[in-house]
Amino acid sequence: MDSFLPVQVSWTPQTAASGSDFYPYTNNAGTVAGISGGDFCVMAADTRQSFGVGYLINTRYQPKMFKLSNGSVLGTSGFYADGLTLIKRINQRLEWYKHAHDKEMSTPALAQLLSITLYSKRFFPYYARVLLGGLDLEGHGVVYGYDSIGSYEPCLARATGSGGSLIQPFLDNQIYRKTPLGILQAPHTLDQVKAVMRDSFTSATERDIQTGDYLELFIITAQGVDVEKYDLRKD
Amino acid sequence: MVSRVDVPKGGFNFDNYQRNLILQEKGFSLPKPTKTGTTIVGTKFKNGVVLGADTRATGDTTVMDKNCFKIHYLAPNIYGCGAGTAADTDKITKMVASQLELHRLATGRESRVATALTALTQFLFRYQGHLGAALVLGGVDVDGPHLFSVSPHGSTDKLPYLCQGSGSLAAISIFESQWRENMERDEAIELVKEAIKAGIFNDMGSGSSVDVAVIEKGRAEVCRGMEVPYPTIQKVDSYKFKPGTTAILSESFRNFVTITEGDAMDIS
Amino acid sequence: MEVGLKPGEISLGTTLIAVAFDGGVVVGADSRTSMGGSYTVNRVTDKLTYVSDRIYCCRSGSAADTQAVASIVTYYLQLYAIQHEEEPPVRVAASLFQELCYKNKDALSAGIICAGWDKHDGGSVFGIPMGGSMHKLPYATAGSGSTYIYGYCDTSFRQNMTKEETIEFVKTGVALAIGRDGSSGGCIRLAVITKDGVQRHFIPGDQVPALGVI
Repeated sequence: MDSFLPVQVSWTPQTAASGSDFYPYTNNAGTVAGISGGDFCVMAADTRQSFGVGYLINTRYQPKMFKLSNGSVLGTSGFYADGLTLIKRINQRLEWYKHAHDKEMSTPALAQLLSITLYSKRFFPYYARVLLGGLDLEGHGVVYGYDSIGSYEPCLARATGSGGSLIQPFLDNQIYRKTPLGILQAPHTLDQVKAVMRDSFTSATERDIQTGDYLELFIITAQGVDVEKYDLRKD
Repeated sequence: MVSRVDVPKGGFNFDNYQRNLILQEKGFSLPKPTKTGTTIVGTKFKNGVVLGADTRATGDTTVMDKNCFKIHYLAPNIYGCGAGTAADTDKITKMVASQLELHRLATGRESRVATALTALTQFLFRYQGHLGAALVLGGVDVDGPHLFSVSPHGSTDKLPYLCQGSGSLAAISIFESQWRENMERDEAIELVKEAIKAGIFNDMGSGSSVDVAVIEKGRAEVCRGMEVPYPTIQKVDSYKFKPGTTAILSESFRNFVTITEGDAMDIS
Repeated sequence: MEVGLKPGEISLGTTLIAVAFDGGVVVGADSRTSMGGSYTVNRVTDKLTYVSDRIYCCRSGSAADTQAVASIVTYYLQLYAIQHEEEPPVRVAASLFQELCYKNKDALSAGIICAGWDKHDGGSVFGIPMGGSMHKLPYATAGSGSTYIYGYCDTSFRQNMTKEETIEFVKTGVALAIGRDGSSGGCIRLAVITKDGVQRHFIPGDQVPALGVI
């Protein structure tokens, strides 16, 4: 900073909301979750896209997870158009990286790139709740959770989006295994994690009206990324 | 000694209204009442009326009740589906049901749908739209089958088929394309089920299953969960906790009854 | 202060016409009831409302307010008929509407035309616009659609029209307004009120004259 004078912020949603009816965000909702295992990572998201207020469903199948490399997957929820724009920017940076270094970007590096990209729009944020899942440099599963302006941390299991608050406590219980006896760190197999993920979403769909239709699982292992699709309630 | 007890006169109490407005200005917002995003419909058929409703109750985007009952009893021959603020629809249908019952006992005659309609509209009009109750009212009386809709401000519409609630646009599209005059009982039930299903699937505020009420001369039938269009998806795993998962840190027992051994009873 | 519609209130964005002729009146209206300006709640509404055997009112504004006012007036006219042992005159009905609308102007959103036949004045038409004034007129128009047909009424209205001519005048007026006003539409409903009673006409949507369609 060159000066101690207050920085003039060119635009904030708050001033626009009070000054005029212009509001450039829409909440398309949806839920994303990720669980990391010893040598795998499972990312999951429902495929319903809804239109903010008004109980409207835009489409029952609009995938909101994107494979960025052989070792990492990005899930978005919130404002879908911002999510798409974010993906576009990230993908371009990945391509430049590939040409410059002749290799794919690692998941931890990608996590940092995502953070600075989000922070670059600190005062006009991407209204996207994102989750990055993949394998780290040692081949261990990892999930990074974000807020919409770039604060992030790696975690074992994370859920975000409209049904996030319903799923997160369940994951805390089933994955972190926190009990009054201490943390019961059970080794999680891929099948166990997939079951927890599917049951999380069928349960969230029961109670969150913006989550539903189909569930997509992205399973990231050293062999690559597998996609599985399951039914969810459609009401 | 105080011998008189002040019994509340009944009705609504507005004592806290001004206070709440001031609190709201200071940033304490009022608790949100449960507004049921809803699909409710009704249609006439050859010799009666069919009413239908979904069973989801929502609070914002959360499902508060997966199987709530939105078809309210008003009289043995009159039922009303409620949309809008759940508390208001529950309360006013109960109040009118009680009025109608007293009226029946006083006159010894079957209730008329028009009586229920007048009671509802006059009550809602008095509250100038502050009671968020939208109803589909149906019944059969001495004049035959009747179907009405009532809006929160107290206006009414009389139509051969109608829908209300957030899913009404989805439901009315079914009626506008498939409704016919003088349908048979089964056809009418089928059409009502289709209309409610259109609401359940296309309106996020509506969901779960279809409740139906069929009212004919001398017969009213309420069918809870007539159709469950989407069965609950079975869980892959079981999440039962093993006994002993919750740690017992300390134990203490206390006797609440002191047993005293006395002399044996004389039974000679 | 007059009130507009309250949030979520159902409104009769409307076209209403009432015309007196020698021996009676013809009243006409469209049939659309809408909510929030875009959704048609009822496409076959009857806005021509009975208040006594030979007096009808045409309702515009809030559906709830006008239905409540009309039912109160109906009640008073029933009382009048019993007490005076004769049918109430149209001017009495109109005065009741006027008084209710004026005294409750702060709470009501109602524009009403009161028209009918009585033995004193024959066919007569009273306009009671928002605010609660009363105007005895040879003919009256009201509702959002009426603004589109001032020119038509000014050029086409003639004194001493026959019953058939009056019906045609009203029908054409409503059809023209339906064609231009988004809040009016559906069918045309007419009522011809004479000494002999009320004769109702119904013109379904597909038979409404398509005027001004290029």
